[in-house]
Amino acid sequence: MSEPAFNHEALLQAVRDLPVDSLTASRRDAANLFVARGFPTVRDEDWKYTDLSNVIEISQQSLQVASAPAAIDEDLLRQTQANLDAHWIVIANGKVLEQHSPGTNIPGVQSGSLQKTDLAIDEPLADLNLALLRDGLKLDICAEFAPDKPLGLLFIDTVENAVASTHARVNISLERNANARIVEAHVSSGPAQHYSNCVLHLDLAEGAVCEYLRLQDRATNHSQTARLNVSLKRDSSLHHGSFDLGGRLTRNDLNVAIQGRNATARFNGLYIVADGQHVDNHTKVDHLVGPAISQQEYRGVLSGHCRAVWNGKAIVHKGADGTDATQANHNLLLSDAAEIDAKPELEIDADDVKCAHGTTVGQLDERALFYLRARGISKPDAKRILTRAFAATIVNTSPISEAHEFLGGQVEERLRTIDDGRQS
Amino acid sequence: MLDIKDLQARIGETEILRGLTLNVKAGEVHAIMGPNGSGKSTLAQVVAGHEDYEVTGGSVQFKGKDLLELAPEERAREGIFLGFQYPVEIPGVNNAYLLKAAVNAKRQHQGLDEIDAFEFLKLAREKMALLEMDPKFLNRGVNEGFSGGEKKRNEILQMAMLEPDLAILDETDSGLDIDALKAVANGVNALRSPDRAIILVTHYQRLLDYIEPDFVHVLSAGRIIRSGDKSLALELEKKGYEWVREAANA
Ligand SMILES: Nc1ncnc2c1ncn2[C@@H]1O[C@H](COP(=O)(O)OP(=O)(O)O)[C@@H](O)[C@H]1O
Ligand SMILES: [Mg+2]
Repeated sequence: MSEPAFNHEALLQAVRDLPVDSLTASRRDAANLFVARGFPTVRDEDWKYTDLSNVIEISQQSLQVASAPAAIDEDLLRQTQANLDAHWIVIANGKVLEQHSPGTNIPGVQSGSLQKTDLAIDEPLADLNLALLRDGLKLDICAEFAPDKPLGLLFIDTVENAVASTHARVNISLERNANARIVEAHVSSGPAQHYSNCVLHLDLAEGAVCEYLRLQDRATNHSQTARLNVSLKRDSSLHHGSFDLGGRLTRNDLNVAIQGRNATARFNGLYIVADGQHVDNHTKVDHLVGPAISQQEYRGVLSGHCRAVWNGKAIVHKGADGTDATQANHNLLLSDAAEIDAKPELEIDADDVKCAHGTTVGQLDERALFYLRARGISKPDAKRILTRAFAATIVNTSPISEAHEFLGGQVEERLRTIDDGRQS
Repeated sequence: MLDIKDLQARIGETEILRGLTLNVKAGEVHAIMGPNGSGKSTLAQVVAGHEDYEVTGGSVQFKGKDLLELAPEERAREGIFLGFQYPVEIPGVNNAYLLKAAVNAKRQHQGLDEIDAFEFLKLAREKMALLEMDPKFLNRGVNEGFSGGEKKRNEILQMAMLEPDLAILDETDSGLDIDALKAVANGVNALRSPDRAIILVTHYQRLLDYIEPDFVHVLSAGRIIRSGDKSLALELEKKGYEWVREAANA
């Protein structure tokens, strides 16, 4: 397979055209690094099943179209904020919208712009992100931060008739013993194609506790790659939940580095993938020290002609004794045209380690279907009930419990669309 | 109520029911006994409409309708209840949700409105008290992590809520301690009425001490080889199945 050509000169020119500020030098370095490597291709092991051709085309075209960004879809903004109660920080088309971002102004949170030293990530899409970054946000959460509701990061992209791409970057750090609940939501609208490239950092200092919910519900003609790099210090704990309901092509990279003893990383995810969609979740946990726990379970419901990828890697480094790492991935395939590539990977270089993984791919349990029908429930209803039950397990164990009802509703709406599609 | 004539059924290439005839009238309690593998569960599953079993001959009429024409859910709504020998665990589906969905499916079929939420809870609590079940079971996943006895009680709870015309209970007594057995028998006896019929599939005569059958049938190799009243069960207990089989062959 050959990727569409990407005009590197146009990228370098676009980077030169950005206003000069404190990040200028970093952008240029990143652009040069990106140009040296280019976009990942399906020949790269980590990108084997996710073809970025369309993302490359969008990136190329959006470099050439020098139109002003579209006006924000206010309805979508309001609706999203009404659905999830949070102290919001809105990042619209890659820029923080001050008037909609009370979250930058609450006690216990210090916000500012990203500095040069905050930027290093060795990965091509992160380089591209930095090369084209207009505005980087930094949030430092202090131990006295104790808000009534979660802190919310809302990435909203609106396009009109011009193809566009957005590069956003946020670094969040929780200081020692800080406790934070964070919601990250991605929504978008508009007729033209769009590519969003998000790079986030989350650092938990000693004893910090974080509940983190990520919801991606982009328009199905819009694509996204998102990276979250997490570092966990001693006694810190992360509970992360990830929901992919929308989007055309979605690729999530969640990398967790366990750097301190007795840290815990728990992360669950649900992806509902319908006709024409592609969702790829790559997770990687580096157990650098032990004892520590990492636990993950992702579930997927696939229908129509679609593809999902789950690759969960756990690396137990030398000396990380007492590591407890479990990975699970379960998929429900509602159509023959749906494809799943699921792969757990374990690399163990330590002793006294407890590791377990399991993946399943299947249809609905025939025994359960008959059981429900024998109770008078119609076959389509029985299927609906079992599909929802499969997804509910993730909703019910995800972080930010006050969002469960809304999440359940979103999941229900997606599944209903799938049911309707199957019946017609 | 239920009229089975010369029923033949198989799964894959294996013939299981080989010409079974059974007539059950309203108000009657029938016990079906027989050695392992004789086809008791197959009979129950075929009547409930399990699609893995292929009916190759014979007929089944229920309340004058051709039962074999109906989907499993239609049979249930018409008033057939199968208590499973192996109730299925369904994590993520709440027990109360299933009960309510089942009750409403039947009510809709009868042209009734959905059951009122308060009414439903009241009814469920009442039935659970009769079965000595903790109300907290309502909020658990269907059979999820239930012990063998809890699963069987849960089957009887569903039956009690649905008030079927015909209940077929497949080895509901196996694996129960004496208290659970009594509770289950209470539930079944509460359902007995001149309008209803019950088929008890069982291995042991023990259950029949608590639920007195009007008829006892012995199933062997897919056929009923002997029928009698409850004294047949006692005789079986003493002499074993070999005795009936020999008598049938003679
Ligand atoms: N799903 C199945 N696949 C293959 N054989 C089956 C299946 N179900 C039942 N059988 C066979 O049919 C026969 C009768 O089984 P069953 O009806 O369960 O007997 P019982 O309930 O009297 O113990 C047995 O020989 C059993 O092995
Ligand atoms: Mg059996």
